[in-house]
Amino acid sequence: MYKYLLCWRYLKTRYIALASVISVMLGVATMIVVNSVMAGFAHTMRDRLHGILADVVVESYDLDGFWDWRDVQSIIQKECGDLVEATAPTMETFGLLKMYLPDGQAVTRQVMVIGIRPEDRAKTGDFSEFIQDDAGKPIKPGFEVPKNWQTNSPAGHLLKDTPKDDPLHDILKQQAGEQVPDRGAIVGYALATIHRPGSSTDDFIAPPGSRIGLAFPKSGRKPEAAYDDYTVVGYFKSGMSEYDSMHVYVPLERLQYMRMLGDGLGAGAVNQIQIQVKPGVNINEIAGRLQRVLDSRRPMYFRVATWEQKQGPLLEAVKIEQFILNVLLFLIIAVAGFGILAIFSMIVVEKTRDIGVLKALGASTSGVRGIFLSYGLALSIVGCGAGMIEGLLIVHYLNDIENVINSLTGTRVFNPDIYYFSEIPTLVEPWTVAGIVLGAIAIAVTASVWPAQRASKLHPVQALRFE
Amino acid sequence: MILPFIPKGHHAMNAHLHAVGLKKAYRKGRSLEVPVLHGVDFSIEKGEMVAIVGASGSGKSTLLHLLGLLDGPDEGHIYLNGERIDQQPDKKRDHLRNTAFGFVFQSYHLMPELTALENVLMPQLIRLSPWQWFSQKKQLKRDAAEWLERVGLGHRGKHKPSELSGGEMQRTAIARALAGNPQIILADEPTGNLDAESGESVMKLLRDLNRERGMTMIVVTHDLNVARQADRIVRLNQGLVESFTPVLAA
Repeated sequence: MYKYLLCWRYLKTRYIALASVISVMLGVATMIVVNSVMAGFAHTMRDRLHGILADVVVESYDLDGFWDWRDVQSIIQKECGDLVEATAPTMETFGLLKMYLPDGQAVTRQVMVIGIRPEDRAKTGDFSEFIQDDAGKPIKPGFEVPKNWQTNSPAGHLLKDTPKDDPLHDILKQQAGEQVPDRGAIVGYALATIHRPGSSTDDFIAPPGSRIGLAFPKSGRKPEAAYDDYTVVGYFKSGMSEYDSMHVYVPLERLQYMRMLGDGLGAGAVNQIQIQVKPGVNINEIAGRLQRVLDSRRPMYFRVATWEQKQGPLLEAVKIEQFILNVLLFLIIAVAGFGILAIFSMIVVEKTRDIGVLKALGASTSGVRGIFLSYGLALSIVGCGAGMIEGLLIVHYLNDIENVINSLTGTRVFNPDIYYFSEIPTLVEPWTVAGIVLGAIAIAVTASVWPAQRASKLHPVQALRFE
Repeated sequence: MILPFIPKGHHAMNAHLHAVGLKKAYRKGRSLEVPVLHGVDFSIEKGEMVAIVGASGSGKSTLLHLLGLLDGPDEGHIYLNGERIDQQPDKKRDHLRNTAFGFVFQSYHLMPELTALENVLMPQLIRLSPWQWFSQKKQLKRDAAEWLERVGLGHRGKHKPSELSGGEMQRTAIARALAGNPQIILADEPTGNLDAESGESVMKLLRDLNRERGMTMIVVTHDLNVARQADRIVRLNQGLVESFTPVLAA
């Protein structure tokens, strides 16, 4: 019983020891904040990645794809029909985008051209949530070009006042179609805009209704490019710059036709089938099953991957970053452990005569060791508890804290334009917090083992004579 | 004339605490050995009060530490109620120090973080598990308060050692030694740090307890006035018993 009484009294009277756990407290708080922010980023990023990609993707190694995609869809239905919610045929290829500026100049960018059927693609993933107009308002995914855009074009204006029997009528009509093609395209937001440093808004280089040109590889034995014009009807803004600065969505049938892989009416090849599975279904198991079945149909032709496998390197990179950061931060707590060791050793020296008295009164070696171990445990619980509360409070008020720092320094600590997040995302994972706290307690208690052992081994006579 | 330590007719096996041929040397560094006790015989009967006197370095305190199991002899045996105790395992020696012996030190050695009452309770706190402590707490506190009352400090129970005078601290230490209900009190220079008046009052207290309760006491002192209050005086000289003198003959 004396162990707990003395441990409690030491806790209440030895403020120097409490000071030693401040470093543990700060270490724990920092680890909780960093892990929560990183988990928040990772979680939001995973959410967005998963929203962009379907759960499982069946794709061909050949960019020209496969014509029998309806058969592949049937196989998917047959194999895992009760587990699948929706499928979407897609054609994905590399390309070049040309955006025409009002002053006659053009901007060229490397892009990923994706041919989709909007109604099908909307059923696989959160694609429809990422489609917006130039004002940032969500719009329905689709490629229809409003009729008035053509009539409002320079040629369209002239066409309005030109009688149908006028020889110029047909020429103007053709020109209106060239100025505002009746084929719509959804362009990645980061492709279509420029963000000037210091500006609070983005400048559109491809505003709604503007014409863009796309070049992409044609099918065939010789590498050849096809060229097509589209009208910008919407923007794709997922918050992942990798996609927002690369993706251009166009109608599937038109892309098939222009790549000479379809008749433009529905019959054609695709190189991907996106699959959305029902909630709770094991996507790895489905992917494995489909891979086996499709391999038996056409070996070495199809690749079936889950969205996580497709984004493996990115997700892995985040995990590695988080791991390295945790190792470094844990070293801070380990250093704090040495501080505890030093201060505990000092306390043992200070308490030498008391230890001698305790032994004279019958305290055992293990009992004396227990005093200092329970003291170390109590101190670490206090330090880690305070650190946990501090860390969780910082996480809870992180954005308010950021606002205060912003107003004090006049600069933006967290720029939403860079990360596309309106505020710093955080996610407190209880197991991570528990792991940090228990790890820190273990370090602090370990640091008190040596001084406790030293105290327990003191000879009572020598301890009583200690000056 | 050097008298044998164990008087005639005083059978060792009847002794309360009995030591034979105790030798002890301290090592300084790797090679230097300083012999302190050269073969001391000692015996005390139940209810007896013995004073051990001698010059500084004669081995008084070392003998007391060996008798109280704070240290082990290099040679020789120690018996408590006829049972050999010097070769007992550590656990048993810890238990004997807690239950059979009560220590009083020259520098009081009270725990500065605890109140006088808590210091008095320390032997019981060491002895009992938390469960036993909580089930007997009220009674134990009452007993400890009574001991404080007995040493004249009933009103000082909640005071920390830093708030007590030297005499009061020594009285608290005596109460602590008594609160564990020991068989033998071992006091090492109990009046060494006290003024004459406080020293007198502490010795009177020890003498009264010895007479009233028949408590066996061994008091180490260099003050002959203190030693004269004992039943017998054992004089040590250079690690050997020089004389054994009943007080009436001293």
